[in-house]
Amino acid sequence: MSKDLKFLVVDDFSTMRRIIKNLLHDLGYSNVTEADDGKTALPMLQAGNFDFLITDWNMPGMPGLDLLKAVRADAKLAKMPVMMLTAEAKREQIIEAAQAGVNGYVIKPFTAETLKEKLDKILGAGK
Amino acid sequence: MSNFSILKSEYGTYVEALSEALARGDEPGFFAAVDHIVHMREPKMFAEIRRLTGDLQKALDRFGIESRLADIAEHEIPNARARLTHVINMTDEAAHRTLDLVERSGPLAERTAREAGALLDALGAFRERAAGSGFEGIARSVEAFLPVVRALEAFLPSARSDSEQIRRNLAEVLLAQGYQDLTGQIIRSVIKLVEELENALGNLTRLSGGLVEHTSLGESPSAGHGPAVPGVTQGEVASAQTDVDALLSGLGM
Repeated sequence: MSKDLKFLVVDDFSTMRRIIKNLLHDLGYSNVTEADDGKTALPMLQAGNFDFLITDWNMPGMPGLDLLKAVRADAKLAKMPVMMLTAEAKREQIIEAAQAGVNGYVIKPFTAETLKEKLDKILGAGK
Repeated sequence: MSNFSILKSEYGTYVEALSEALARGDEPGFFAAVDHIVHMREPKMFAEIRRLTGDLQKALDRFGIESRLADIAEHEIPNARARLTHVINMTDEAAHRTLDLVERSGPLAERTAREAGALLDALGAFRERAAGSGFEGIARSVEAFLPVVRALEAFLPSARSDSEQIRRNLAEVLLAQGYQDLTGQIIRSVIKLVEELENALGNLTRLSGGLVEHTSLGESPSAGHGPAVPGVTQGEVASAQTDVDALLSGLGM
């Protein structure tokens, strides 16, 4: 599996972005960029060639679900793997995210193992 | 002048005209006088209706604000209290988890440092004893090197396993910091409630001056609800990653 994948981590809390970045680093992914909400993330995604998007749901500005929908609606980004990493855990929300085309859904608080497992699953399935 | 004398002076002429027209059998004159009196009454009547409508509107606004306030007091304040208690529990848990991991890592680092120190001492002793040359010197060196090898053999495996354990503990410390995000989301929702309460109380005060501002903190439906809080969050909530996985695999993912 290629470890030079370019990740974009979107979360409004900088502590959480640091945690995810560190965990990705531990898993061998060192090319990680951060954004603090969907509104900042979308132009970054459109401008840079990211390979993987990890996003929170509940963010001021543009929530993660809207970002996911915008990614899926953009011809250039539509196929990008998207993982939702969020405290939103309502049944209907998980279904909504799945219907919007999310590739993985991890609820906070999470473990390093869960993150690795879901990442591997998504990256394995994309091959 | 009394109220009635004002009325008498305003209406007197027209009432007289009215009764005169009636006595004369003057139909157009009669209706002209009636119309005049009605026209005189109309503005007052409309002003009265306007005032009543205004009062009614104020009462309705007040009722709206008051019922929202009652709702906040009855449901959302207790909810906010539960949310903040949950925040305390989460920060407590995260702090203890971090402290536990720090306490468990300290002795491991100390042991590695202590054993490395012992190894350095053994190496120093070896250097001293190995001084000299010739066969005797070589023989002494081999003999003197044995304790160093033993110390190395004892040190390396434990140094490796201790360092690995410290690394794992550090990764867990890292994850424990996730509480900041989760509690932050909950605190933000309480701040939003306080803001709404402030606005509602402000509106209620302004209402006496007739100024009503309707402020509702409407959110887009896709904004999210924040972390689930035990005893507060309603509806079906996935409590663990396994619930999420089961749900998603049920959807064919």
